[in-house]
Amino acid sequence: MSAMFEQRLADAIGAENVKTAPEDLAVYSFDAYSEGKLPAAVVIPSGTREVSAIVKIARELGEPVIARGAGTGLCGGAVSVDGGGVVISFARMHRLLELDAANRRARVQPGLVNLHLSQQVAGAKLFYAPDPASQRSSTIGGNIATNAGGPHCLSYGTTVNHVLALEIVDESGEVFTTDVDDAGYDLTAVLVGSEGTLGIVTSAWVRLLRLPESTRVWLAAFPDIESASEAVSAIIGAGIVPTALEMMDSVIVKAVEEAFHAGYPTDAAAVLLIENAGFEDEMDTYEAALREIAKRHGSLSWRAARTAAERDALWAGRKGAVGALGRVAPNYYTQDVTVPRSVLPKALHAVEIAARENDLVVGNVFHAGDGNLHPLLAYDKRDRRQVGAVLSTGDAILHAAIELGGTISGEHGVGYEKREAMTRVYSTDDLATMARVRDVFDPQRTLNPEKIFPAGTRCVEVSPPVRRGEHSAS
Amino acid sequence: MSADELCSLLRQCSDDGTKVTVVGGNTLRGMGFPPSGDELGLETSALKRIVSYSPADLTVGVQAGCTLKSLASRLKREGQFVPFDAPKTGEATVGGTLAAGWLGPRRHRYGRPRDLIIGSVIALADGTLAHAGGMVVKNVAGYDMSRLYVGSFGTLGVLVQANLKTLPLAQTARAFLAPLPEGTRSRAMAQVRALAVEPSAALWIDGFEKEIPGEPGAEGRLFILLESSDALLERATRDLRSAIGRAGVPETRIIDARARDMLDGIIDAYVSTVADRSMTYRIACLPDRSEVCVLGARDLVRRFALDADAIADIMNGDVIVRASRLETRDLPLKLQVLDDALHQAEPRARIIAGDHPSRAAFNVWGNDPPAIARMRALKSRFDPHSTLNPGRFIGGI
Repeated sequence: MSAMFEQRLADAIGAENVKTAPEDLAVYSFDAYSEGKLPAAVVIPSGTREVSAIVKIARELGEPVIARGAGTGLCGGAVSVDGGGVVISFARMHRLLELDAANRRARVQPGLVNLHLSQQVAGAKLFYAPDPASQRSSTIGGNIATNAGGPHCLSYGTTVNHVLALEIVDESGEVFTTDVDDAGYDLTAVLVGSEGTLGIVTSAWVRLLRLPESTRVWLAAFPDIESASEAVSAIIGAGIVPTALEMMDSVIVKAVEEAFHAGYPTDAAAVLLIENAGFEDEMDTYEAALREIAKRHGSLSWRAARTAAERDALWAGRKGAVGALGRVAPNYYTQDVTVPRSVLPKALHAVEIAARENDLVVGNVFHAGDGNLHPLLAYDKRDRRQVGAVLSTGDAILHAAIELGGTISGEHGVGYEKREAMTRVYSTDDLATMARVRDVFDPQRTLNPEKIFPAGTRCVEVSPPVRRGEHSAS
Repeated sequence: MSADELCSLLRQCSDDGTKVTVVGGNTLRGMGFPPSGDELGLETSALKRIVSYSPADLTVGVQAGCTLKSLASRLKREGQFVPFDAPKTGEATVGGTLAAGWLGPRRHRYGRPRDLIIGSVIALADGTLAHAGGMVVKNVAGYDMSRLYVGSFGTLGVLVQANLKTLPLAQTARAFLAPLPEGTRSRAMAQVRALAVEPSAALWIDGFEKEIPGEPGAEGRLFILLESSDALLERATRDLRSAIGRAGVPETRIIDARARDMLDGIIDAYVSTVADRSMTYRIACLPDRSEVCVLGARDLVRRFALDADAIADIMNGDVIVRASRLETRDLPLKLQVLDDALHQAEPRARIIAGDHPSRAAFNVWGNDPPAIARMRALKSRFDPHSTLNPGRFIGGI
């Protein structure tokens, strides 16, 4: 970090908002899974104008710019890969700027914590639907960058369905806006999920939904994971799309029960957590239909949360599941793949085999209704054998998902960790087509470099990917 | 024509400078600037197969030339649908509807078509066949190219296949048609917007008397479509009737038979023309502004001694306004001046119907959006020789 660079950043946004001491930078060189390198500086702007000034200075001095939310990502999307670069933290841009309750929308800054948005609009009987497990700390800006999902995306859709307009600082520091109702190309659609490689979101209009009149949560226990996943397929196949449909296996259930005493049946091999939000008038019919399907697939027990407190307890178990796994091993690795829902049993079987072959404990807690798996591999990172086993299991799971017609990331993103795996689902032509968008928005690769695209996308030759479940269009 | 043949044809056109215009069912030909006439017309009608359909996964892969109706009838056999809500489903194609970025009245509930697309195969101008997404409902592996193609008006590539989410059809559909007496419209619209059980579609219809059945009141008609479970229908009906009753609307007709077909009929009216003597605009606005927007646009149309028909989408906020006149001499001039005046008031007004010869001189897409320079750059990166649908999209794209 040159003194001149530091001085210019300090002049632009105030010295107290520019961090360059290694001990300060270290915090920003991790996300929730990966370890990157130290950036040259971390800056904490207070508004769009300052973000723009930062990008201009960085560009002039040839430093890349990495936008960062809360750092809860799991794929190295918000860290410096090669060392150096300016990390922009949105910790000071965390406000709800405008609430338009009549049109059910809000304008927010990117640093606003996901859960805080729902809390702040609850008075108007509204909420923000995407709810990643990290929602207590992850930010709307980070959620937009990864097109974050969450349990309730099953019926409400992922983040992209809830973003109405964006204010963006581009790679040259210029500000532009997009709106889903603008004529022309739907730039909002491609900016959401672009992991900070096409522009930096400085504010967004997001869609809010009405708080449901009635919410019910049920827990069904199954003797084995196959019958639970078949029940999931049967529910969706019967035309029932609950608000959330989550599965946990016995490893997770036991860990959760020990940690939270949520009332999960510890003798079950798998449980389904089902939520439906809607109207009291239809809940009994709904419950009867779900219960019947569960029974047909051999459910051991069926429990309905009767009070808000019981509901919260059941959800607390689900939301704290990943943390509870700390009881099994000091470290864990979360894989994130999606498969067509009808092949869930096969996918889970493949996960089990991969873990067994590598002698690892695996826990499954995931968005079953969406076919979005999150196998959690428990390990101890001080043991080199286990680290190697985790990597090869993770890879085997990716492979299995692709073989079953699935994809390499359902909601966490590609970042740095999965960029090489992109060639396993996309051909060179497919990736080069994506790169054309990058060429337009970030021709110099200033914004979050070394992410999403495999190294040397434009010249690398790769073998054609396996593509199942999708047919040639001749 | 196969996808490979399509690619080599495009490559050839791109090399020798032949311009190409892509044609689906020709049902939205009133959108965009008219083709110059020198282009090679490329029909997607041969690509009409449903490539894969997995009802248990709620996903379908369909080729671009498949009509909405044939897709819908296949899905209906499994109790599913894709909510395109586009006009003339017997002729309209999946590819054309997606390319046009058509938005229907049920999108507040079921999502925009761009939110239902999970994968695509597209032939680019240089002959590249590019795949994006896949057959899974959650996918963040790279940029969401499929969503970008929706609404791109065939200017980035020719859509060959779309993979879509399907949705289960609600158990019941019930339509309501109510004439609005003097002084009831505003309150009725507000009451409908506040309903706990939200209608799938709610429209205030002013005019369109030849195209849409039902007797209008002094302030037009209200059309509502409820879609729900059997268990909820009774309460939803009761709530709706008392809400509009409170607004002073005395009578409501309930239509249970073919309720969804009624909505389709109304959507057909969106693009209906009056001989070749009409021009229809769609104006995107916020729900709480839609009434004001209709009134303003209607007054403007009438100021030019033209007839106005309008529809306000109560849930989504967009507005349809048709200006027409059978017997008037200087119609082209009047429409031209109206076009300017309307865009002064509503910069986002875009033409969706009215295959009028003078349309080329109109502001057919509305004023340029703030990001127009980036859109132009995107076009030239995807189609540097401007082979595909040249000059038909916004800002000269």
